[in-house]
This record gives sequence, C-alpha cells and structure tokens, in this order.
Amino acid sequence: MTDTAQNMIQRRAAIIATFKKELIQRLNLPYTPEDLHEDVSLLGAGLGLDSLDALEIVLCAENCFGVKIPDDSVAVLRSINTIVDYIIKEQDRKAAAA
Amino acid sequence: MRISPLKSVLQAAGGVFETRYGTEVAAAFSNPATENSHIRNTVGLTDFSFAQMYRIPEEKACDFLDTFLAGNVARTRFGRMLHTFLPTEDGNVAADCYVANNDQEFLLICESILDTGEVDRILDSYGAKEAGVENWTDHHILLSLDGFDAWKVVRDVFGRDVLGLPYLSVEVYPFEGETVQLFRAGKTSEFGYMLMAPNSVANALYDKVYSVVKETGGGLCGVNIHNDLRLEGRFFNIHREGIQVQDPLVLGLQWMIDFDKAGGFRGSSAIATRRAAGLTRKIIGISSAADCDALRPGARIVHAGQPIADVVASAHSFVLDRKLGLAVFPVELAYSGLDFTIGTADGPAVKTISMPPILPRSLSVKLAEM
Repeated sequence: MTDTAQNMIQRRAAIIATFKKELIQRLNLPYTPEDLHEDVSLLGAGLGLDSLDALEIVLCAENCFGVKIPDDSVAVLRSINTIVDYIIKEQDRKAAAA
Repeated sequence: MRISPLKSVLQAAGGVFETRYGTEVAAAFSNPATENSHIRNTVGLTDFSFAQMYRIPEEKACDFLDTFLAGNVARTRFGRMLHTFLPTEDGNVAADCYVANNDQEFLLICESILDTGEVDRILDSYGAKEAGVENWTDHHILLSLDGFDAWKVVRDVFGRDVLGLPYLSVEVYPFEGETVQLFRAGKTSEFGYMLMAPNSVANALYDKVYSVVKETGGGLCGVNIHNDLRLEGRFFNIHREGIQVQDPLVLGLQWMIDFDKAGGFRGSSAIATRRAAGLTRKIIGISSAADCDALRPGARIVHAGQPIADVVASAHSFVLDRKLGLAVFPVELAYSGLDFTIGTADGPAVKTISMPPILPRSLSVKLAEM
C-alpha cells in the first residue's frame, strides 16, 4: 500500500468515525458505529431517515467539518460514503483556494 | 415445482423461464439493455409471484412474526411496511422480507434462498397454525411495477391518491370485485410498486396493468434485470450477494435488525455473538472498465500480489457504462477510492467505490409535478 493510499484511508476513516458518532448521537440511533455500513441508504430505504433527520445531517456536516451541503443535494445525502465523498471534495476545494 | 399463474400469458409474450429454488421464474423477455431502459426511462412490469406470501390476522401477528424476523414488527405503524429478513438458526440470511401492517391483517412477503416449502415449515415451527396464518403463495400473484414512470401506471389504474403514498407503505384498492394490495416498495431505486391480487383476478389485473405499461412506453421485464438494478442502486439482493455471503453483519444489514428486541428472534444469539466479536470483513462496492470480464463472482481482488477480497456480485451499469460489483474486503481495507487488480498483480484494474454510484431519475420528480 502506498503512502498516498494509507493517508487516504486514515483521512477517510477519521471523517467516517466522527460522522457516525455524531449521527448516532444526534438522531438517537440504536446502533454502534460498527453497525452502520457506510453504503447504507440514509433516506427512505435503509435507515429510513426523514427530512428533519436530513436537516440534522446537514448541520452535522457544517458543525463538525465546516462543509455546507446545499439544500437540494439529494445525491449527497444518499449514504454515509456519499456524504464523506462530498466533505473530502469540499475540504480539498477550500484548501486549494486558500 | 411452483409455477406462476401468469405463466401462459408471460410465455406468449416471449418470456424465458428459469428455476430458482424449486420455483419457476420469468427470467427475461428481451435483452438486458432494453429491460434496463424500460425501468430507468419508462416502466417495467415484472412477475414477482415467485415470492412467498402470507396473511396473518392482526391479533397475533406481532407476537408471531417477532419471534423469527430480525426486525421489530410491533413498531411497524398502521399502513406502513418493515423491510427485514428471516434468519437461519445460525444467524444467516434465509429470506429477504417485507412485512406490511394493513389494518386487520399483516402481510409477509419473502424472497427466499430456501427450497419451496421450507419457509412454510419454518413458519409452522413458530406456530403459524395457532396464529391463524393463511398461506397465500399459491393463491395470489405479485406484480412489480418499477420505473421512472411507474407512478403514471398506478395512477391510471387505481386513481390519483396512490401518488401520496410514502415509500414503504401499503394500501388496498378494489379491482373487479376483489381486493388488490398495493405496496409502495421496490429495489431498483426508481419508483416502485408491488401489486398483490388473488388468482381469480390475476389475468384481468395483468391485462389492465400491462396495457397501461405499454401506453406509457414501457414493457415486460424478467427477474434477471432486477439483479443488475439492485446492484446499481445498492439494494440488498438475496439472490446474489445474499446467497454468497449469508452473514447479515458482513452484508451490512444491521439496519434490518432490532438488536434490542425482547426475547430475541431466530438466530439472534449467533448474530449477537458475531457482533460482539467485531467485524473482520465487510462488503463494499467496486468498479472496473465496462469490458472487464474478469470482474465476476468468484474472482479474487489482489493487493501487492496477494489475494485480499472476493467478488460476490457483478453487473454492467448501463447508466455509467462501467462494470460494477460487490466484494468482501478485510475491514481495514474496506474504504472507497482504493485501487487494486483482479486475479494477479498485473490483472485488470478495479477501484473501490462509494455506493450507490448512480442518481436515479425518479429522485428528480416532485409530487407537485405528478
């Protein structure tokens, strides 16, 4: 495994760990972080979260990672992995612009 | 062997049949690209009568179903559905199940990987007779309507109020003197509805629905295309990764389980033991070039010359024009965005990906526009 790949795993794992912890706490989900598969559908199917829960996820991304998820970003909110992809992309974009 | 009551009409329409666990299914009607296009762009009608169907009177339904299903049936509100699974005694997945709470009755729909009759025997062993369970499998059909325009078909057949039904809900509609159960559910990521009706109106319902499907520009689909669509939308598919992996924790199905259910459920001790031990492997999405034939179930994913993961499902994504798959990785490598090869160190490239990889067109439709 290259250093780049290792760094990528570490960065992604850290974001996922923080996000899952916040998600479980904020939404009072009856799961451990390990129970939440990163690809599980968040809204509708899967965890079956509703629009208020989606708002909580948006706030979580903003408060924990400084990333604003636009209101109409249905694609971003589909799974933990798609949210983490967006957070990484936005962090990289901000870093490049700084 | 179980045969669908609709077999003759499906055969006349060009259906190609296969056998799944002792039940004959209409596997395909045309090429995969055409059937995929029906569902992604208009609407596809599929015979899902291979599923096992049961009616349980409301009085004893929760106590009965909660003894063997992994999810919490008692928490399923009136008019809503629960998506869960039937475990084996050793805590593996035996059937992918919907439970619908429909006023005076609960309805159980199972897609199982057990031989015909085995689910009946499991229900019997948990007191089906005492709970008043009616086995509807041989007396009802189940049609699946899926697609970007599926809502137009149910609207035209059953009326406009169908459009207000939320995902995972159930409603009943009269049809030629009988009752049709309409389930707002599907596993293609486009609009999905399932219609359950007694055999006495099977052909009439099929004719009515199919005529509207054709008017809408859609067509018949076989069950095989649903394997591809489920993978593309990252819906659990018991017939592919389910039968290959079986362990619900490795499959990422924890969301279907109520770990705190009083009294547990079938196989709950085995699941609890594995959960306490911690996950060592998990299933994740992978992708390769469209012409990568090496990405198929049974292939090994290689890192630094060593096999590290097993491919358990694959399909061509017509939306992405890429090969998609699912593979079981060690948890320390189960992250999106990593590059590996298939088979050997210099084999075809494969990348781990975030699922679901596509945005279905149906998510762009707003209720006010319907």
